[in-house]
Amino acid sequence: MGVFDKLVFALGLKKREASVLVIGLDNSGKSTMLNHFKSEDQKSTEIVPTVGFNVEKFKARNVGFTAFDMSGQGRYRSLWEHYYHDCQGVIFVVDSSDKLRLVVAKDELDMFLQHPEIRTRRLPILFFANKMDVREAVSSVKVSAALGLERITNKPWHITASNAITGDGLHEGVEWLTNQIKENLNK
Amino acid sequence: MIGSFKQIKKDEEDGGGNPYHSTDKTSVLQEARVFNETPVNVKRSTHVLTKILYLLNQGETLATKEATDAFFAMTKLFQSNDLVLRRLVYLGIKELCNIAEDTIIVTSSLTKDMTGREDQYRAPSIRALCRITDASMMQAIDRYMKQAIVDRAPGVSSAALVSCRHILKESPEVVKRWVSEVQEALSSDCVMVQFHALGVLHQLRKSDKLAVTKLVSKLTSSSLRSPYAICLLIRIVARLIEEDEIGYDSRLSDFLESMLRHKAEMVTYEAANAIVTLKRSSARDLPPAISVLQLFLSSPKPTLRFAAVRTLSKVAMTHPNAVTACNLDLENLIQDVNRSIATLAITTLLKTGSEGSVDRLMKSISSFLNDISDEFKIVVVEALRSLALKYPRKQAVLMGQLADMLRSEGGLPYKEAIASTIITIIEDNPEAKEKGLDHLCEFIEDCEHTTLAVRIIHLLGREGPRTRQPSRYIRFVYNRVILENAAVRAAAVSVLAKFGAQCEGLLPNILVLLQRCMMDTEDEVRDRATYYHAILATRDSTLIHRYILNPPQFALPSLERALVQYLQSPAVEPFETRMEERVVPTHEKYAEQLSAIPQFAHLGPLFKSSTPVELTEAETEYMVRCIKHTFQNHIVLQFDCTNTLNDQLLESVSVVVDGEGWVVQTSLPCASLPYSQPGSCYILLPIPEDIMSTTGTLSATLKFTVRDCDPATGEPDTDEGYEDDYTLEDVEITVADHVQRAARSNFAAGWEELGATNELEDTFALSAMSTLEEAVTQITQFLGMHPCDRSDRIPEGKSSHTLYLAGTYRGGHEVLVRAKLALADGVTMQLTVRSDDPEVSEVIASAVG
Ligand SMILES: Nc1nc2c(ncn2[C@@H]2O[C@H](COP(=O)(O)OP(=O)(O)OP(=O)(O)O)[C@@H](O)[C@H]2O)c(=O)[nH]1
Ligand SMILES: [Mg+2]
Repeated sequence: MGVFDKLVFALGLKKREASVLVIGLDNSGKSTMLNHFKSEDQKSTEIVPTVGFNVEKFKARNVGFTAFDMSGQGRYRSLWEHYYHDCQGVIFVVDSSDKLRLVVAKDELDMFLQHPEIRTRRLPILFFANKMDVREAVSSVKVSAALGLERITNKPWHITASNAITGDGLHEGVEWLTNQIKENLNK
Repeated sequence: MIGSFKQIKKDEEDGGGNPYHSTDKTSVLQEARVFNETPVNVKRSTHVLTKILYLLNQGETLATKEATDAFFAMTKLFQSNDLVLRRLVYLGIKELCNIAEDTIIVTSSLTKDMTGREDQYRAPSIRALCRITDASMMQAIDRYMKQAIVDRAPGVSSAALVSCRHILKESPEVVKRWVSEVQEALSSDCVMVQFHALGVLHQLRKSDKLAVTKLVSKLTSSSLRSPYAICLLIRIVARLIEEDEIGYDSRLSDFLESMLRHKAEMVTYEAANAIVTLKRSSARDLPPAISVLQLFLSSPKPTLRFAAVRTLSKVAMTHPNAVTACNLDLENLIQDVNRSIATLAITTLLKTGSEGSVDRLMKSISSFLNDISDEFKIVVVEALRSLALKYPRKQAVLMGQLADMLRSEGGLPYKEAIASTIITIIEDNPEAKEKGLDHLCEFIEDCEHTTLAVRIIHLLGREGPRTRQPSRYIRFVYNRVILENAAVRAAAVSVLAKFGAQCEGLLPNILVLLQRCMMDTEDEVRDRATYYHAILATRDSTLIHRYILNPPQFALPSLERALVQYLQSPAVEPFETRMEERVVPTHEKYAEQLSAIPQFAHLGPLFKSSTPVELTEAETEYMVRCIKHTFQNHIVLQFDCTNTLNDQLLESVSVVVDGEGWVVQTSLPCASLPYSQPGSCYILLPIPEDIMSTTGTLSATLKFTVRDCDPATGEPDTDEGYEDDYTLEDVEITVADHVQRAARSNFAAGWEELGATNELEDTFALSAMSTLEEAVTQITQFLGMHPCDRSDRIPEGKSSHTLYLAGTYRGGHEVLVRAKLALADGVTMQLTVRSDDPEVSEVIASAVG
C-alpha cells in the first residue's frame, strides 16, 4: 500500500460515515426500526406511512449512519433505484407476520438483486424478519427460505428476527452490518 | 492595486461582474453529479444548485429527463442539515416540480421539515410541499396543513395560507375543508397573517356574490387590526360596489368613507383611491377623498406624494374640476426633487388649470424634460394631446413644443406618442394640418425608426395631396427614396404614386421620379415603381383609382384557385378580379370539397359560404346543420347530418326544401348514415332571376329510410327498412348570403369614386336596440359586409356614430354603405347605399327595412 492510499484509508476511518438504504414492503416497520435508533429528543412519537423517502441519521457503534428510509408502497417502489448508487449497505425489512405477502417481498428482492447497479457489487445486506412478537409471525429461518436467501452468493448477508418497537434484535443486526461496511472500507 | 483594478475591468468585460455570466446548461447539469457524493459536499453543492436556479430564472428550459435527473440528485441533499443548502433545495423543488417526474418522492421529507423544530425550514417546506402535491395526495397532507394554518409562528401560518391560495386554483374543495382554521387565522395578531387569511377567505367565496357580501358586512362592522387586510377589504368592497348595477348597499360606501379617517396612511390612501376610481362616484362624492390626497401632496414621504399625485392625475382626466382644489399644492410640486412627482404634478395642472397657465406650465416642463425618463415624457405628451383638444387656440404653442420634443432624444414609443399626438391635432383641426405636416416632414429627414418613418410617409400620402401646395412634400418624400432603407424607400414610392394619382400638375414630375426609382437595388422598390409608373402613365382615371387609390385586396389562395379555374374553362372574356376581392378566405376548404362533386363542377368559382346554421335543437335524435354556398347563379345547400340513435341505420337521407320562387334543380342524397358518423347531402338551387326575390325562407324536412339495427355491432337486423321523415327548422336565405366582405383602405375615396348615381338613402328606427355597439354589430352581421376605417369601434360615451361598410355583391358589384347612427330612445339610423348597379343598391337598402 502506497503512502497516498494510506492517507485515504486513514481519512475513511476517521470519518466513519456510512450510508445505508432501507427497503422492504410497506407496513413492514422500516420507519419504526429507524426511529428506534434515534436519540430520545429526536424520536418521532408517531410513525406514519412514508411517502417517497426520508433521510434519518443515527449513530451505532461509533459509526454515523445516514439511512434512506424508502417508502414501501407499490407506487413508490420503482423509485428505490434512484438511491442504489451511493449506498454502502442495505437493510431489507420483512414483516414476518404477513405470510401472504412474503412472495411479493421475494419478487421485490429479486428485482433489487438483478438491478445493474446492485448485481455485481459486494454490498452487505441485512435482513430483519420483523414483527417477531406477533403471534402469526414465522421464524427467521422460514423467512429466509421464503425469500430464497441461500441463492445470494456474491454478497454477504445476514438475517435476524426483530421487534422494531422494542428494539429486540436490531442492535445485533446493525452490529453485523457495521462490521461488514468497515471491512469493505478497509479493503 | 493595479492588479486588482485590472481584475475588475476584466470582470466587467465578461459580463458586468456577474459570477454566473458564463454558466451553461450542459456543464452545470454535469456538475450536478456532485449532489450524489456522500457525505454531502455542502460548499460545492450550494454553488452548483445556485447555478441551476440561476439558469432556470434566466429562462433556460430543461427536458423532462434532464430535470428528473437533476431533481433526484438534488433529493440526496436532504442528507445535509446545512440551513442555506436546504433552503436552496426547497427553491429547486419549486422550480423543477413542473418539469421533473415523480416529484412526490420528497413528500415525506418535506412533511418532516414542516412539522419539525427548525423554524427556518417550516415555512419554506410548506410552500414547496404544496407545489408537488396533486389533488389525489392532498388527503395525506390535510392534517399538517390544518396545523400549519393556525401555527403560532406567523411565518409558518402565512406560508400555509399563501399555499392555500395556490391549492385553491387546482382543488378548491380541499381548501374548503380548512375554512375554520383560516377563520381562526383571520383573528391572528400578526398583520400579515390576517391579510393572508382574508385573501384566502375571499378567494374561496369569490364566485358566490352573496357569500362575499356576507363576509364583507361581517368584516366592515368588526375592526380588523391589520392595515394590509383593511386595504384588501377596501378593494373587495370597491369591486362589490362596481359590480352592483342596481341598488347597492349604501353601507359599503359609508365604509369606504369612514376608512378615510383611519390612522394608517396606507388605509386612507387605499380608500381615497378606491373612491376616486369608482366609476359610479359622482363629482359630489369626491371632495373628502380628494382632501386626503391633497394632504399627502405635502407629505415629507416621497412615496406618499407620488401615490397621491399619480391618483390625482388620473382623476383629472374624468373630473378635472374636482382636482382644482389641489392646484396650489400641485404648483409646489413642480419643483419637487423627484422628477416623476414633478412631471405628474405638471401634467395634472395642465388638465385642471386655466388656459392662461398653459404657457407657463409648458416652460416649466421644458426646463427638465431632459431629466425624466421616456415613460414620463409620454405622460407629458398625453397631457399635451388632451390640452390641444381642449384649447384649440393653444395648438400653435403646443405644436411648437411637440416639434421640439420630436427633435430631442428619446426612444420609439416616445416618438410615436409625439407623432400620433401631432396627427390627432391635424385631424381635429384642418388649420393646424400644414404646420403639423411640416413638423413631421422635418422629423423624417432624420428619423431612425423605420416603422415610424413609414407611418408618417403614409400619412403624407393621405393628407399631402389634399393640401394647398402638395408639391412642397414631394422633396421630403423623394429624399427618403435616396437616403433610407428598403422598407422606407418602398413606402415612399407608393406615396409618390398617390401624389401623382391626385395632383394632375405634379404627374409629369412624379413619372420622372418613379422612372428613377426603377433603378433601385431592391426588388420590392423596383416592382412598386414599375407598377405605379405603368398605371399612372395611362392617365386613365378609373384604372388609377382602382389600382392606386383603392387597390384591390386579395385573399391569395382564392385568387390562385380562381385563376386556375379560369385557365381550365373555355371562357374568352377577360378574367374578372373583382369577384376575388375578399377579406377572409374562409371557404377554401368548401371550394375544394364542392368542386370535387361532378354535379357542382360547372357552377364556377365559389363566391361565399355561410357559417353553419343549426336546423335542429341540441341533443335530438338527428342533428342537422346547414351551410349555404353561393355561386354566381346558384346556391348550394349543404346539410351536415348526424344520427345519434345507436339502434338505427339511416339510408337515402335527403332534405326536401320548399319556398316560393325557389326550384330545386338537383338533390344529392347521402346513401347511408350510420350511428354517430356524420354525412352530408346537398341541394342545388338556381338563384331567381329577379334580384328582389333572391332572399326568402325555405321550409325543410329530413327524409330517409330507417333500418333498425343492433346497437352493439351496428349491423342492421332486417333487410327491409321503412320510410320516415323529420321536420327541420326553416332555412333562411338572406342578403348577407349574396354579399362578400371587402376591405377598403380608403373608404372616403371609394365613396367619391362610386358617386351618387346609384345612391339610395333611407332612415330607420331600430327600436329593439339600446346601444350603438349593438346596432353596429347587428347591421354589420345582417349585411355581411366589412367595417372600414375601424368604424366598428365606438369611442366610449358617444351618442352618435357613423359606420362604414364595404362589400362585394354577387356578380362582382361593389357596394358601400354609410350608416349614421344616433342614440335616442332606441337607435335611429340614416342608411345610405352606393353601388355600381342600381338594383344592388335597392336590394341592400330594402333588406334593412
Ligand atoms: N407488533 C409490531 N408492530 C410493528 C413492528 N414494527 C412496526 N410495527 C408497526 O407496523 C406499522 C408500520 O410501520 P412503519 O414503520 O410505518 O412501516 P414502514 O415500513 O415504514 O412503511 P412504509 O413507510 O409505508 O413503507 C406501524 O403501525 C408500526 O407500529 C413490530 O416489530 N412489531
Ligand atoms: Mg416508513
